[in-house]
Amino acid sequence: MTMALSPSSPESPAGASRGKALAAAAIRLGALATFAAIMAYFALTARGFATPFNIVNVIEQSAILGILAFGMSVVIIGGGSEVQTGGIDLSLAANAGLCAAVFATATNAGLPAPMAIAATLGTGMLVGAVNGFAVVGLGILPLLATLASMNIVAGIELTLTENTVLSTSSPLLSVLSSGRFLGISALAWVLIAASVIVGLVIHRTPVGLRLYAVGGHPEAARAAGLNVGLHVWGTYVFAGLCAGLAAILIVSRLSASTPGTGELLLSILAAALLGTVFSRRFVPTVGGTVLSVIFIGFLANGFQLLHLSSYWVSGVQGALILLVVAVTSYARPQEH
Amino acid sequence: MSGLAIDMTGISKAFGPVKALVDADLRVARGTIHGLVGQNGAGKSTIIKVLAGILKPDSGRITINGTRVESLTPASVERLGVHFIHQERLLVPTATVAEAVFLNYELRFGPFLRPGAMKRRAEELIRTHFGLELPGDTLVRDLTTAQQKIVQITRALAQEAKVLVLDEPTAALVKREVDSLFAVLRNLRAQGIAVIFISHYMQEIEDLCDEVTVMRNGTDVGVVRPGETSIDEIVSMMIARDVGEMFPRRSHALGAPVLRVEGLSQAGHFRNVSFEVRAGEVLGITGLLGSGVKELVECLFGLEQPDAGSVTIDGEVRRFANPGRAVQGRMALVPEDRRAHGVATDMSVRDNITIASLDRYMTRGFVSRARENEAVDGFIRELSIKTPHRDQLVRNLSGGNQQKVALAKWLSCQSRVYVLDEPTVAVDVGAKVEIYTLLNRLAAEGAAILFLSSDLLEIAGFCDRALVVYRGTLNGEFAGETLDSDLLLAAASGARAQRKEA
Repeated sequence: MTMALSPSSPESPAGASRGKALAAAAIRLGALATFAAIMAYFALTARGFATPFNIVNVIEQSAILGILAFGMSVVIIGGGSEVQTGGIDLSLAANAGLCAAVFATATNAGLPAPMAIAATLGTGMLVGAVNGFAVVGLGILPLLATLASMNIVAGIELTLTENTVLSTSSPLLSVLSSGRFLGISALAWVLIAASVIVGLVIHRTPVGLRLYAVGGHPEAARAAGLNVGLHVWGTYVFAGLCAGLAAILIVSRLSASTPGTGELLLSILAAALLGTVFSRRFVPTVGGTVLSVIFIGFLANGFQLLHLSSYWVSGVQGALILLVVAVTSYARPQEH
Repeated sequence: MSGLAIDMTGISKAFGPVKALVDADLRVARGTIHGLVGQNGAGKSTIIKVLAGILKPDSGRITINGTRVESLTPASVERLGVHFIHQERLLVPTATVAEAVFLNYELRFGPFLRPGAMKRRAEELIRTHFGLELPGDTLVRDLTTAQQKIVQITRALAQEAKVLVLDEPTAALVKREVDSLFAVLRNLRAQGIAVIFISHYMQEIEDLCDEVTVMRNGTDVGVVRPGETSIDEIVSMMIARDVGEMFPRRSHALGAPVLRVEGLSQAGHFRNVSFEVRAGEVLGITGLLGSGVKELVECLFGLEQPDAGSVTIDGEVRRFANPGRAVQGRMALVPEDRRAHGVATDMSVRDNITIASLDRYMTRGFVSRARENEAVDGFIRELSIKTPHRDQLVRNLSGGNQQKVALAKWLSCQSRVYVLDEPTVAVDVGAKVEIYTLLNRLAAEGAAILFLSSDLLEIAGFCDRALVVYRGTLNGEFAGETLDSDLLLAAASGARAQRKEA
């Protein structure tokens, strides 16, 4: 019935997609160049910035942010990086706060270390499971679901701690806070180990590939026979696990659980979103997240050394989020 | 073991009171290409969903490659070697070609992926089956429509498909791509794979298929061989109506020119285009992708602005700054991408139909629901829009019915000039006939209709006159004897020099 001369093709011509690819490459290189330029500026102007001691110090400080950013990145991978409807876990920092309180309380109550750890990780994963249920089971937008659970979790933390600092100590905590191996501190080792493990799982196993597929195009993933809901759920539970792990590091670093852990949220988001800039697909990668976590660490450190108010750091992180989201939404090709 | 790859016998399926399938059969032999045709709602997609394990049949027997299967799930069907190439290009845009081909069936070493092996294997499969060099690390979103289709098929081949079900695979492909797809399918047939090919394009069915199952009203009304049965016969089996009515005739006389276009130009797209459309006339216009015909039509409607030339409606020179002005100028456009421009899919049938003409349903400054409902029900009846009620969301209607809603919107405006951009793309045969009939009625009422289509048989069969745009200029006018799809094709492809015919 038809002699199709020119059936509708929604595809952009090859030239346009090449243009997009060039823009994407420019953004990647630009991000790296900006990163390098800022580092160079700090190295020249901030006394003590480029010393080995300072660099190791920053990397150690980045361990907590790094673990949490892995959780956020995995949620974004599995939920998709669409800003409004994609995967996001706003409760991540608050969850870490609650887990820290649980860990400090459990340790102070005399629980043996393995049980305290189990309780902490269990709390984090439980919160993650609830988030997953709200998102997958109830179909609530992740942005809203986790905003709500963030407040619930913060409330529980306040009830548990009565908004006080819970000091604590244990042999495990001293090993974590001051142990060294091959001249590198335990905290830095944790970050390295986590990067390697998460990196292997996300980039070298079918699990990672499937998570990217689920986040990239859920219907296509479903058509390929994947259980989309289970994968998305898993990402929130994993984020909860990260919150629990980070909580143990937080308590070891401060020898206490303190209120205000929730304020880490902005840094976590900035790190996870900034990390997408380093991938040609504009999706979070473990390498990209590590890079941006360290960048954010150096940024805060540089500001400190230049005696700038730390309040500026929040402002810069907020601006980074806006910039990254704007740039990647622009450069990401229109799909569907 | 019988030679049947798929043997579905006596399949019935009801959704509440609606009988989607009634004792339907589908038998596909190994090493054949089997067409499945029928209007939308005839049961094609229901029987395919039963085969895919998505729907459970109420009764019936299914045998796949000689194995009787009691209950199918999407996963168990794949294990039996039956693979589905969906009409939508269901691929992850951020995945690479290799990842898309092997997703969920990854090649691995212990717990780890073997990206190199997957890339090589995907490239090798594409080379063997399609004779194409496609780097395995290309991102899916950077592929053309045809390449994405190829990746979908390669995915099935990588899992050693024995039966391949293709749903409207050519809908977004150009001729050359269709040809190479057909070559691939014939090659697969030679390897003993059974192919089920679902299409609205009868020409393709005739060119490609060994056998065709025709469905109507939820059951199979016949299995025919295209070599022995003509397209016209197949179509009349589908619609139970004489195919002579495929392009209903018009008998009314033409009136005075309504739309006159003079010397219209837009840099880079078209230049010095002049034509007129008379009252009651259907003027076809066609051209290849990039010929400028699309931009020409968009200029008429105010979506684009011309650089020079004039548009006259009923003797008055008009220039539309935007489509809103064009509507006020009693011009109606039914755009090609109806989801993007033609209908608001999240609004009801009623709201879509009356949105452009609300002031006609006003009483004392308020919209009268009663008058609106009356008019909308009238349209639903006249156009036989298949919707349970006027408040149904348009997204829940089939493509053909969405198109009818888009048409009804403009009908309720009572325009003088109708500009239709590919109004029958992805619309089934029955709905096509209804759209033609409707346009005839508009023409009989004195409207001037400009009909843009790349379906040359449709242009030749339906229009009074046709213009061909080639590289931005009119390359011939065709009417009567010369209004023939071969001549149109020659003019559109530039094979025939510029020349005027009466």
